[in-house]
Amino acid sequence: MSASLRPVLETLTRQRGVRASLIVSEKDGLVIDSSLRFGQDGERVAALAASVYRKARLSAKAAQLGAVTFLQLDAERGRICVAGAGTDLVIVTVADPAANVGLIRMELFKALELIA
Amino acid sequence: MKIAAVEPWVEAPLRRFVDDARARLALLLHPTGQVLAQAGFTREVDVMTACALASAVHATAGELGRQVDGRAFGGLHFGGQEKQMYLAPLETSRGSYICFTVFGEDTSLGLIRIYFEELVRELAAASLEAPPAPTAALAGGFEAELNRNLAALFRPRDRWEGRGGQPPGGR
Repeated sequence: MSASLRPVLETLTRQRGVRASLIVSEKDGLVIDSSLRFGQDGERVAALAASVYRKARLSAKAAQLGAVTFLQLDAERGRICVAGAGTDLVIVTVADPAANVGLIRMELFKALELIA
Repeated sequence: MKIAAVEPWVEAPLRRFVDDARARLALLLHPTGQVLAQAGFTREVDVMTACALASAVHATAGELGRQVDGRAFGGLHFGGQEKQMYLAPLETSRGSYICFTVFGEDTSLGLIRIYFEELVRELAAASLEAPPAPTAALAGGFEAELNRNLAALFRPRDRWEGRGGQPPGGR
């Protein structure tokens, strides 16, 4: 499984400004596979991003807004984008503040189709 | 959540761990099964049982790890339907301990592991500044030590509170 996921992640990490891409189990917050630039802590990002995504998904469900497909968290020194397709797997990217979110979002959805 | 510690230097790091990781129960114990601190337990018999079982599981997993991998495994996770447990050893300047954590669906194994790493760092730092231990972890009077620790964690007042009664002489 990991061999087929790696190209998906590498494509994401090649996007300008993307520092890390990970496939994460939303339930456990554990990394399934990752493509990280130097200095990125994959396990920490995976656990925290999965937790935030899970809370967003449960909140949207409680508010009767339907399924969450994309989550973007902007912070001072970077942004985290998470996309899920209703399974336990979510794809997480960590990017620079100046990265093109539209492009990242598009690539995330392409990647989701490939791993579904 | 109520936290009680036999040695005060472990209390603050354990409280942060439980709060940040949103653990439901946590125990810090010597590998021998002697309790050092607990969070979330309400009865001393539960602490005693959990310590004995956690110590046994840790010893078993450690030996399995040594046979399979040449060294003891680092951590152990069991997943139930609603609750999960994480059992992992940690080292301080005052010796080795085991942390037994029970958590539910409001957190995840990934988060528990991250905050456990922080607990390990904080306990290692706190142990350097802590006063000398009153007795060795595995003294000859193990049972007396165990009872002393349990008594420190569950003072009589706690038991009365748990049963809705009053301590002798009132409050």
